Amino acid sequence: MTLLQFVQGPLWYFASAVFVLGVLWRLIAMVMIGKPRDLSAARTSSFGGGIKAILLHSVPHGGNLARTIYHFLVGYAFHIGLFVLVLFAAPHVRFIEERLLGWAWTPVPGWGFALAAQFAFAGLILLYIRRLTDPVMRKLSDWDDHIGTWLVFLVMLTGCLALQESHDGLRLIHLLSVEALMIYFPFSRLMHAFTFAFSRYNTGATYGRRGVTP
Amino acid sequence: MTDSASAKTSDGPNVQAAIDKFIAVTGSQVAAYLDACIHCGQCAQACHFHEVTHDPKYVPANKLVPITKVYKRHKAPFAALKRAIGLAPAELTADDLTEWQELLYDSCTMCGRCTVVCPMGIDIASIVGLSRQAMVAAGLGPADLMEAAENARTKGSPLGMTAQVLSDRIEWLADDFEVEIPLDKKKADVLVTLSSIEMMKYPDSVVAMARLMNASGVDWTFSSHGYEATNFGILSGKSDVAKIMIERLTGAAEELGAKTVIIPECGHAYGAMRWSAAGILGRPLPFEVLHITEFVAQQIKAGKLKLKKMGDAITYHDPCQVSRRGGAAEDARTILNAFASDFREMEPTGNNNWCCGGGGGVQAMASASDLRHKVFRIKTEQVDKTGAQSLVSACANCRLTMDESKVALDWHTDIKSLVELVADQLEDA
Amino acid sequence: MVDVRRSVSGLARGLAPIALFLMLALQILAPSLAEAQSSVRAPGNAVVNAVPPPMGSAPDTATQGTPPGDALGNSSDSESWRKIRQGVPGHVNNTDAYGSRGALIESSGENWRLWRNDYVVRYGGMVLLGVLTILAVFFAIRGRMRISGGRTGKVIPRFSLVERITHWFVAILFVFLGTSGLIILFGKLLLLPLIGPKAFGLFASASLEGHNLFGPIFAVAILALFFVFVRGNGYKFIDLVWAIKGGGFFGGHPSSGRYNFGEKSWFWWATICGIALTLTGFAMLLPEIAASVSTALVGPEMTGRLFLQFAHLVHAVAAIAFIAFGIGHIYLGTVGMEGALEGMTRGYVDENWAKEHHDLWYEEHKAHAVTDTVKAETEAAAGHV
Repeated sequence: MTLLQFVQGPLWYFASAVFVLGVLWRLIAMVMIGKPRDLSAARTSSFGGGIKAILLHSVPHGGNLARTIYHFLVGYAFHIGLFVLVLFAAPHVRFIEERLLGWAWTPVPGWGFALAAQFAFAGLILLYIRRLTDPVMRKLSDWDDHIGTWLVFLVMLTGCLALQESHDGLRLIHLLSVEALMIYFPFSRLMHAFTFAFSRYNTGATYGRRGVTP
Repeated sequence: MTDSASAKTSDGPNVQAAIDKFIAVTGSQVAAYLDACIHCGQCAQACHFHEVTHDPKYVPANKLVPITKVYKRHKAPFAALKRAIGLAPAELTADDLTEWQELLYDSCTMCGRCTVVCPMGIDIASIVGLSRQAMVAAGLGPADLMEAAENARTKGSPLGMTAQVLSDRIEWLADDFEVEIPLDKKKADVLVTLSSIEMMKYPDSVVAMARLMNASGVDWTFSSHGYEATNFGILSGKSDVAKIMIERLTGAAEELGAKTVIIPECGHAYGAMRWSAAGILGRPLPFEVLHITEFVAQQIKAGKLKLKKMGDAITYHDPCQVSRRGGAAEDARTILNAFASDFREMEPTGNNNWCCGGGGGVQAMASASDLRHKVFRIKTEQVDKTGAQSLVSACANCRLTMDESKVALDWHTDIKSLVELVADQLEDA
Repeated sequence: MVDVRRSVSGLARGLAPIALFLMLALQILAPSLAEAQSSVRAPGNAVVNAVPPPMGSAPDTATQGTPPGDALGNSSDSESWRKIRQGVPGHVNNTDAYGSRGALIESSGENWRLWRNDYVVRYGGMVLLGVLTILAVFFAIRGRMRISGGRTGKVIPRFSLVERITHWFVAILFVFLGTSGLIILFGKLLLLPLIGPKAFGLFASASLEGHNLFGPIFAVAILALFFVFVRGNGYKFIDLVWAIKGGGFFGGHPSSGRYNFGEKSWFWWATICGIALTLTGFAMLLPEIAASVSTALVGPEMTGRLFLQFAHLVHAVAAIAFIAFGIGHIYLGTVGMEGALEGMTRGYVDENWAKEHHDLWYEEHKAHAVTDTVKAETEAAAGHV
C-alpha cells in the first residue's frame, strides 16, 4: 500500500470515525450531565427565547456594533470564506458526490473560489494577528487556540496549493492535514462550531423565560 | 458538603473543597458555556471594569478560568483521556484561587452586560455566581460579604436589622409621616418585603412604598417573620444562607395566605426571589413575585393610581437585575411616562445599560470601593449627556452605590428613587 | 521581556507543528513521488500537444498538408528557419487570437524568454545575493547595533494596533508571495537540480496556485499599508541631512522625526513596487481583460501577448527590487538593531532607543514615557501614539 492509498483509505476512514463519533459523544456527554430544573414562573416561552438568542447572537446588538466591528467583519469574512471553500469548492463537491452522498450540488466557479479564499485567508490571518497583539486576547489565549488556528490555516493553505489538481503529492499533503484537523477537532475548542448553538440556546431559554433576550 | 466545613485550613485555602464545589455546580448548561468560549475577548468591550482600567485581567472571560480548569480536567467529555495523555489543564492551585478572589468578587457585579456582546451568548454572570460558591468552600469569601451573610442568618438582615428593630422603625415611620404601615396582619393578599438598605439609609422609601400600597387599595402587610428581601447568601456564594432567606420569605407569605410577594427597590433581591428561589427551594412558589415597579405599573394601567405630572428633566438608571436579567425594563417606563413630562433615556439604556458598579455585593466590599468609584464615571458621563437634572433608579443598592461614588467623584446631579418620586406625585398626596 | 517571549513562543508553538508536519510529509513523500509516474497529470485546462513525427521520416502525403514556408527549392533551409524564428507570417493554420496570425514561432515570446533567463534571472539573482552578502559583511564588522546607554526601562507608545496589524498582514503576505514568486522565477535554476523534476513540479504547481490566490489580497494589503502609514512619511529637509550623514550606520546620529530617511524611502519604495506588482499581477491573472485594455490603450501593435510579456518582466523586476529592500528592512528590524522589533510587536519602544534614532519624535513624545509596559501597550493599542 502506498502512502497515498493509506491516506485516502484507512486513515481517511479512521479520521472520519474519530470526527463523527468524537463530536457526537462530546455533545451527548455534555447534555447528559444534566441541569437543575428551572421552577420559576415563566413570563414568556423559554423555547422561543432560545431560538431568538441563536439568531440574535449571530450579529452585534445592544449598541455594541461599533465596539466589536473588528471581530464582526473579520470573523464573518473568515467564516463565510471557509464555508464556501469547504462546501462549494469544485473538488470538494466532486468528492462529496463520488465518495460520500452519491449526489451533490453545483460548485462555485473558479473566480468564486478565489474570492472565498481571499476572504478566508484575510479573515483568519487578521484574527490571528489580533490574538497575538491584543492584550485581552493574549491574556485569554492558550495552546488550543494556537493549534486550532494553525491547523485550519494549514488545511486551507494546502488545499489552495493543490488547486491545480495535477500532483498527487499536493493532494496527499492536503488530505493529511485535513485528517489531522478532523482527529484534533472533537478534543478542542474547534467544537464551538457545534457548541455555539447549545450555549446561545441555554442563555436564550433561561432569559426568554424572564421575558428578555440579552 | 456543607458550608460549615468550608473554614479556611491553617495551610491556606481549601483547594479540594473548591474543586469539589466547581465540579458539583457545573451542569450541562455551564458545560456548554465553558466548551463554547473561543477566547475572542469581545466581552472586554462590555465590562465596565475593563472599560475604565483597560487592564486585560478584568476581561469577563478571564473570570471563567478556575471553573474551566476544573471542568476540563475532571468533568468534561474526554477529560479522563486527556488526563491520561497529559493534555488536561493542570490541577487548580491555591495560588489560582487567591488570584481570582478579586476577579470573582471585587470586579464583577454580575450585571450580565458581557452576555449581550458574547457571540456565544455565554451567561458569564451566572457562572461567576456559581464560582463564588467554590470560593466560599475554599474559605476565600471576602470578609465583608461573609459577615453580611452571617448577619442575615443570625439577625435576619445583612445590616443587623432584627425583627425588633423592624417593628420599632415601622412604628416610628408611621408616626412621623402619618402613614398607615401594617405589620404582621394575620391574613393579607400581598406581602411586601424590604431591603435593609432602605430601612437603615433611605427610610423615606419605605414610607413611599406604604403610601403606594395604601393608595392602590390592596390588602397588604409587612411581616416580622420574613421581611428581608436582599439575599446575601446568593451574592456571597453561601448557599445555605441563600436557602434560609428564601424559606423565611416563603414561610411568611404562606402563613399570610398571600397571593403576591412584592420585592422593593432592589435588583438582586428581585432576581433571587423571582427567578432563583423556586430552584433553590426545590418547588414552585405558591404565590406571584413582583418587583415594586411591576406592581406600580400594573396599578397605573388598571387606573388605580392617579398621578400628577412632573416637569423636571429626569433620566432613569436600569438596575441590571430588574431589566437585563429580570425582564421588567418596560414597567419602569410605564411608570415614568405616566408622570414625567421630560423623561430622557440614556444611551445605551434598558437591557443594554451600564451597571452602577455596585451590584453583586460589590457595594458591600470595602476593598472594591476605589475601583467602583472609577467605574461610576461611565454613568456620570451618560447622565451628563442627557442634560437631566436628576438620575432616578429603582434599586436601593444602585442608589447607595451612586450616592457614595457621587461624593468620591465630586459630581452633583441629584440621585432619586423611582418609588419616592411616584409617591410624591400621587394626586391625593 | 517576558511578553515578547510569550508572543514569540506563541508563534513558535504554532510554527513548530506546521514545520514538523511539512518536513515529515516531504520526507515520506519523496520516494513515492519519484516512483509514481502516474501521479503527475496535465492540469485540467492544459492544451495537449501531439508529438510531432520524428525528423526525416517519410512524409505521408496523403494525410499531411503543404510543407511550411513555400520551401520548394527556391530558398535555403537556413533562410526558411530564419524567417520562422523572426516570426514572418506564412501559410499556417494558426488561429491564435493573441499573437500574430500565421507565425510558426512567436518571436516576441522567444525574446521574452531570453530576457527573463539572461537578464532578470541572472542580474536579479546577483542583486539579491549582493544584498545578502553586504548585510552579512556589515553584521560581521559592526555587529548588532545596541541601544547606546542601554535600556532605561521606560517605554513610549510608538505604533497603534491598526498600524501593527496592517504591518504584519503585509509582512505575512510579503513572505508568502516572495517565497512562491522566487520559486517560480529561480526554481528551475536552483531547485530543479537539487530535488529533481517530480518534486520540483509539485513545488512549482503549488507556488503558482498559492501566488495567484494570495496576490489579490496583497493588493488590498498594500493599499491599507499606504493609507495607514502615509502620515509622517513625507520627505523633509532633515531627511537630506540624514542621508548625507549616511544615517548613522558608520557612526554619529543624524536627527530624525517619527520616521527617518531610510524608513520613508522604504515606505515609498514599497508603495511604488506594490503598485507595479499589483497592476502587472492583475494583468497576468486576468489575461483577457488585460489584452483588451492594452490594445485599446496603445493600439493594435500592442497585442495582449506582448503586453503580458512586458507585464511579467516589470512584475519580476519590481519584485526583486521590493525583496532586496525588504531584506534590509527585515535585517534592521530583527537581528541588526536592538530595540526595534518591539515597536511592531508590543507597540512601544525604549526611551533611549527613541532618543537615539528618532530624537525629534522623542522630544514630542517623551511625556508619554512610562515604566508600566502594560499601560504603554494599551495606550499604543488605543492609537495614542
